[in-house]
Amino acid sequence: MKPAPFTYHDAQSLEEALALLAEHGDEAKLIAGGQSLVAMMNLRLAQPGHLIDINGIAGLDGIERDGESLLIGALACHADIAGSDLVREACPILADAAGHIGQYAIRQRGTIGGSLSHADPAAEWPLMAILMDAKIEIAQPSGDRRTVEGADFIQSIYTTDLGPDEVLTRVRFPCVERDEGWAFKSFARRRGDYFIVAVGATLALDGAGRVSRLRLALGGMEVTAIRLVEIEQEAIGNTPDGDWIEHIAAAARGAGEPADDQHADAEYRRELACVLVTDALAEALNRSGRG
Amino acid sequence: MSRVNDSNNFLSIGKSLPRKEDRRLLTGQGRYLDDIQVAGELHACFVRSPYQHALILAIDTEAAEAAPEVVAVVTGKDLAEWTTTHRMAPPIDGLLPIEMTALPADKVRFHGDPVACIVATDRYLAEDASELVEVDYEPLDPVCDMFKAMEDGAPLIEKDMGTNLISHQTFETGNILHVMESAGRVVESTFSTPRQTPLPIETRGCIAEWDEGTQHLTVHVGNQAPHPYRSALAGRLKLKETQVTVIVPDVGGGFGQKIALYREELTIAALARHLKRPVRWREDRMENLLAASHAREDFVRTRAAVDANGRITGLTLELVEDFGAYCFFPANYLARVVAVILTGPYDIGEYAFDVKVVLTNKCGNGPMRAPMAITSWVMEGTIDNIARELGLDPVQVRRLNMVADDAYPHVMATGETMEDINPGAALERGLEAIGYADFRRRQEADREHGIYRGLGICSVVESTTYGSKFYKAAGIPGSGHECAWVKVDPSGTIRASAGVMATGQGYETSFSQAVAEGLGVNPQDVDIKLGNTDIAPYGMGSRGARGGTAGGGTLYLAATGVREKALAIAAKLLGLNTAYQLTMRDGRVCRLIDDDIQETDLTLADIARTAYLDPTRLPDGMEPGLEVTRAYDPPPMTYSNSCHFCEVVVDVPTGAVEISRYVVVENCGNVLNPQIVEGQQLGAIVMGLSGSLFEQVVYDESGYNQTGLLADYLVATASDMPNIEILSVATPNRRTPIGLKGMAEGGVMGSIGAISNAVSDALSPFGAVVENHPISPSRLRLMLREKT
Ligand SMILES: Cc1cc2nc3c(=O)[nH]c(=O)nc-3n(C[C@H](O)[C@H](O)[C@H](O)COP(=O)(O)OP(=O)(O)OC[C@H]3O[C@@H](n4cnc5c(N)ncnc54)[C@H](O)[C@@H]3O)c2cc1C
Repeated sequence: MKPAPFTYHDAQSLEEALALLAEHGDEAKLIAGGQSLVAMMNLRLAQPGHLIDINGIAGLDGIERDGESLLIGALACHADIAGSDLVREACPILADAAGHIGQYAIRQRGTIGGSLSHADPAAEWPLMAILMDAKIEIAQPSGDRRTVEGADFIQSIYTTDLGPDEVLTRVRFPCVERDEGWAFKSFARRRGDYFIVAVGATLALDGAGRVSRLRLALGGMEVTAIRLVEIEQEAIGNTPDGDWIEHIAAAARGAGEPADDQHADAEYRRELACVLVTDALAEALNRSGRG
Repeated sequence: MSRVNDSNNFLSIGKSLPRKEDRRLLTGQGRYLDDIQVAGELHACFVRSPYQHALILAIDTEAAEAAPEVVAVVTGKDLAEWTTTHRMAPPIDGLLPIEMTALPADKVRFHGDPVACIVATDRYLAEDASELVEVDYEPLDPVCDMFKAMEDGAPLIEKDMGTNLISHQTFETGNILHVMESAGRVVESTFSTPRQTPLPIETRGCIAEWDEGTQHLTVHVGNQAPHPYRSALAGRLKLKETQVTVIVPDVGGGFGQKIALYREELTIAALARHLKRPVRWREDRMENLLAASHAREDFVRTRAAVDANGRITGLTLELVEDFGAYCFFPANYLARVVAVILTGPYDIGEYAFDVKVVLTNKCGNGPMRAPMAITSWVMEGTIDNIARELGLDPVQVRRLNMVADDAYPHVMATGETMEDINPGAALERGLEAIGYADFRRRQEADREHGIYRGLGICSVVESTTYGSKFYKAAGIPGSGHECAWVKVDPSGTIRASAGVMATGQGYETSFSQAVAEGLGVNPQDVDIKLGNTDIAPYGMGSRGARGGTAGGGTLYLAATGVREKALAIAAKLLGLNTAYQLTMRDGRVCRLIDDDIQETDLTLADIARTAYLDPTRLPDGMEPGLEVTRAYDPPPMTYSNSCHFCEVVVDVPTGAVEISRYVVVENCGNVLNPQIVEGQQLGAIVMGLSGSLFEQVVYDESGYNQTGLLADYLVATASDMPNIEILSVATPNRRTPIGLKGMAEGGVMGSIGAISNAVSDALSPFGAVVENHPISPSRLRLMLREKT
């Protein structure tokens, strides 16, 4: 459990990090919190010849509001996001989800940029990015920036749209509307474990108390989190009550194609999806101010 | 001894003195293996088999040897020249002999089996080089299921053995067959625990130093039994025992994993001698999970003959244990204890057992805190099944079958004598604490609202201490006695030592209390020196919950020997004819005059000075000096008992189990230090709960270990564990010094049974019974799906 040899680079600016990536190509890896990468290196599953530390890059960990968007820098750590008043006000579901990641020590080091780039199928940030239609901002070797939708960025298990010479710099989330309800629900074997199944939901109602927008995403049912688009669209105009929740939960049960593993078989994941969607919608409804 | 055994008379023992070792351990001043630096040391790592069963055709070490800073690369062939083969062949009926080399040269037997060792100036470089070792394997069919391993034609782990069934032992009382055949009703139950691993926070590891000048080997290693370890090491290296010193520093937990001499440690010691340089090995977490001794993995079936009232007239037990591929211990020994003590507090005269132990392509088994862990679950789960099948209250079935507290000593069907226990009192005290009748009302009412509560009860009779008569009767080599010395220096300071070694249990504190009690001094003034085989007397080490009774008991006896001598000297110095009315209090000689205690001017230091430096003043014929060495062989077994009560709520939609209350009533005799005992009780209960709820070593069908990381081998964390309420109904043991009993394993036994029975009780409306561990949410859901 010792990593293979590597050369360490302490990048002080985004330009420097990009230049080092350009120079060392496939041989290089960025390191942010190291909470996923170092474990992979210790197991020699990752053997980068060059490790480019981006923690010294100033300004990459900011959290700010830009009109109806919340901007979170790639180096913001889970604990800062969970504890941010700004996040709690602008998009509270993100703070709640961040607080569910791992344990205290992990949340102090692990970053949103690292988590999205790593793309673990049972991680909170990919689920949030897909749920909230996050816009992932990426710096390219040329110095240009590009932006990718959350659902397009997370491609598969440990696979993203990120090129080997690119740096994820920032994530743009929409702020939730006033009176928009939300809930994050997850189930894990132990407190702090990666979830078996998780659900994110936001619920906005119109003046008549009917659903004007539902966002609903499930993690743990496929190699990536999935957005239940059809269910969301059908929900518009419905009156949210117990029967409605039951109906949606039953539909969520059939979502995706879950697989069996040591901690859960596929059928169990479906059962959890049903239970968690029920809980999440009830809570979101409560928070919507109409519940 | 009755006066001594009355805990009211104790001055030092029975007090919750703060742990002496905590000052250094909690301020980061402890010295664990990694804190010890040896000049010029080399670092080793092992190449391990990716196969579960394969012939080793060739090992090419050339490229690794040429890698930077590599000093040596060795394989089983090299080790065969430097070490002897270990033959495990105790004269036990039904147990086949088995041999083991230092490193396998012919074939690998499990995923993680070590095949080569690399020594370099740095651990990182050693691991780099390990990737260059090329092993040519010819894969063989593996067998990874204990039942398949017993089938004809199954791949053989040891070809020469001709079978994988390494041990088969049976027992029956005269009338059991008839009782079972003529029974009105036979209730059958099954139980199984998966493979687990002891998981000490500090993994295995050692530093070996060879002194070419004195031809002496010093090994620093975390170990529970330093002297037997030294004997094994010297023997296998073909050294005289005087050429080997074993030094055990602070140890970060053992739980049974640090008793045997492992192949890796033997290899490191052999390399240190061969290279004439110090070599260090620290096992990493993945190696610990894959290749340090595993435990458990058993399947049990009981059949209980009962009458309509639930009275058990006969009981049979079938037990199969998967022992893995290597035997660091006699393969029968762990499973046999389960069979021997199964009936516990119940009066079951007709009994039979059939115990099979099987080799498979998995990491070898060893003891893990409560090797007989499954016992209480099996017995108490059987009783609950009887109650359910007959529609009786499980408490009534227990009361009906229990040996009355005043009927002890009680001889079990297997011939074991249990004494000085009170399972009835423990049961009743716990029922009262938990509010049994009220619980049943709450349970009933909550079910209406979809809340499924359950209460699990588990009576435990814990076999502890294991005197040498037990070993003899079981045919296991070794002894159960212990040895200790107490020395008073010329300046009056007191040091004491015994052969047992702590791995975190606080011996320095509790043993200083035992010595202080025997000698009549303050525990603060006693220094306990453990873990160095050149200093400590040859003892049998820590296992089987024997530390307190064997270790503490022997130290107490040695200390009373010192006191007797000191008081004899005092009598002479005070001009008295006899020491009859003298006693020692806090290091000062006192006179008992009518019920009064009067201090004299004489202190232990004065006596010590005389004993060493002025021996002409000693009583005629007395040896100079003030020290005593004693050996003590405790009874074949001391028994503790306890009764565990676990209340759970099962969330039926998700299968999640929440422990809402945990109460345990304990009888572990007189205790040296209640705070330390409480730590053991809590630790043991948590260990059992963690095992029952989370832990499982998973081999896939082809024998590949899928739990090589703590992300996959789950263990309870503090936030998963309940508050535990401990009550006491202690009675002393009449046959041990100071009334001690062992006690550190019963919590594991009790919590396994209590949590399992609780979940079964909660799910009884669905007809679901817990028969397997871990009790994972997905497994519970699977069970509930099948029932609805
Ligand atoms: C015990 C434990 C428990 C955990 N539990 C959870 C959990 O419950 N839920 C959860 O979601 N996570 C969990 N994690 C993972 C944790 O959240 C990680 O912090 C996260 O997945 C990776 O973030 P990091 O900053 O540590 O990234 P690193 O480990 O430094 O990097 C991960 C990968 O991302 C790349 N990378 C990092 N930053 C960038 C960037 N800005 N641009 C491009 N590429 C980049 C790296 O090159 C690397 O490939 C756990 C981790 C541990 C050790």
